[in-house]
Amino acid sequence: MKRTVDVSIPVGPVHPCWKEPARVKCETRGELVLSAEVELGYMKKGIERIMRGRPWQEVMFLAERVCGICSVIHNMVFIEALEHISGIEVPERAALLRVIVNELDRMQSHILANFSYCYTIEHETLGMYLLDTREKVMDELERITGARVTCAYIVPGGVRFDLRSEDALHLRASLDALEQNITRYIGMFEHGPLIALRSRGIGILTRDAAREACAVGPTARASGLAETDRRLMHPTYQKLRFTPVSREEGDNFARIMVRFQEVLQSIALIRTCLDTLPEGPIRGGGIPGAGEIAYSGEAPRGELSYFIKTDAAGRVLEISIQTPSIMNIEACCHYMLKGVASLADVPSTFVSSDPCIACTER
Amino acid sequence: MKEPLYEKDLISMKYAILESRRHDRMVREIAADLGVPQLRMRRYLMDRFDMLLLENLPARYEQGKMMRQDAPEPERQLGAHLYTHAVPLIGEERMAQILTGVKEMVRGGTSMGQAVLSGKDRIRKEIIT
Repeated sequence: MKRTVDVSIPVGPVHPCWKEPARVKCETRGELVLSAEVELGYMKKGIERIMRGRPWQEVMFLAERVCGICSVIHNMVFIEALEHISGIEVPERAALLRVIVNELDRMQSHILANFSYCYTIEHETLGMYLLDTREKVMDELERITGARVTCAYIVPGGVRFDLRSEDALHLRASLDALEQNITRYIGMFEHGPLIALRSRGIGILTRDAAREACAVGPTARASGLAETDRRLMHPTYQKLRFTPVSREEGDNFARIMVRFQEVLQSIALIRTCLDTLPEGPIRGGGIPGAGEIAYSGEAPRGELSYFIKTDAAGRVLEISIQTPSIMNIEACCHYMLKGVASLADVPSTFVSSDPCIACTER
Repeated sequence: MKEPLYEKDLISMKYAILESRRHDRMVREIAADLGVPQLRMRRYLMDRFDMLLLENLPARYEQGKMMRQDAPEPERQLGAHLYTHAVPLIGEERMAQILTGVKEMVRGGTSMGQAVLSGKDRIRKEIIT
């Protein structure tokens, strides 16, 4: 709707600090942001419509193309939804391999999100360190799945490739180096006085506001909503005795720190998987059939839900995808940005919620 | 003040969001609950909400419906929290006025059902006018 305001400052759609185009219109009084409104539609894919009527063998490849950053979880949630519809069992080794790949994907996504934040607040040194570290994670992902982005690693009843012993050894060595580096970067971020000036107490999302906006993922967990982590409901994660990370501050600093802590947590989870990885098959078999389900998983940015209806041949009749960024960007623009004291904090607060426009405009 | 030249008409894109199956189901449910024509409800949502709030509405609506179950009467039947916070169709102050009116009617001897219907009628008028 067209509106006339005193001072309306558009941020974006093309902004040097943003990975993807979106336009945030800030209504301001001086430097104070009174409210913000988001305009999308710069990269709408219409992927749900493309998926409709296609066999699952095609839709699984389309699903991971919803987002280039968290493609593994789209693949995982879609396939697990099919498995739930059709009662397909997954061998234990394959279930743990799924966790390993999913956590590697989470690590690279979190590190990229934190790079974006550091770049936005102009701490390029830490940003570049983080990008370098992310490459190491991507290399491990490639070593296991054969691809860096669209891996298509998870298939109904198991995974596509087994983990070779030499790859497991390489992964362990990489995890040790990653842990050391990430711990060092956390120290830099936590104790940097200029970082604190740009991050602490800025873009606050209270617990109640997070609940009202249905915020998910690290954005919600930085506001104390630990129970939003869908991994708590996943049987494999339950076996690994997973407990979510959370903080109470609800500001930009807390959101970045939650992601850093989750990277360390992912390293620990992968180590546990490697320690307990049993010998056995990686594919149990099974054919997707007819049914309807609403299934969720924990993407790097939060709860990702697929609503699927299939026919007896496994063709996708209806599909709706609810990505975490929808909730988080809404929480950011309608709660975090409201009352931000300086316009300079708008990009950093926006980036701190790890917005993925590709997901939002699926 | 003059309107900026670069403002776009977002109506068609907002309509595309509301066309999705989950959004459509939500609009139908709200329209049936409040007795508002569906087309009118869609137009009201497109006029009032930005694209992102529209995208997020089904999640907020589901959450609001869950919270509605635990609310006391007559807030539950009226959907006081649902229609002000989860799906902000009307402002908090206006809803408080409507709620006070409903409570007064109940105190005056009107049945709860009748009073809630009258409250919903006032919400409907807010949307239609």
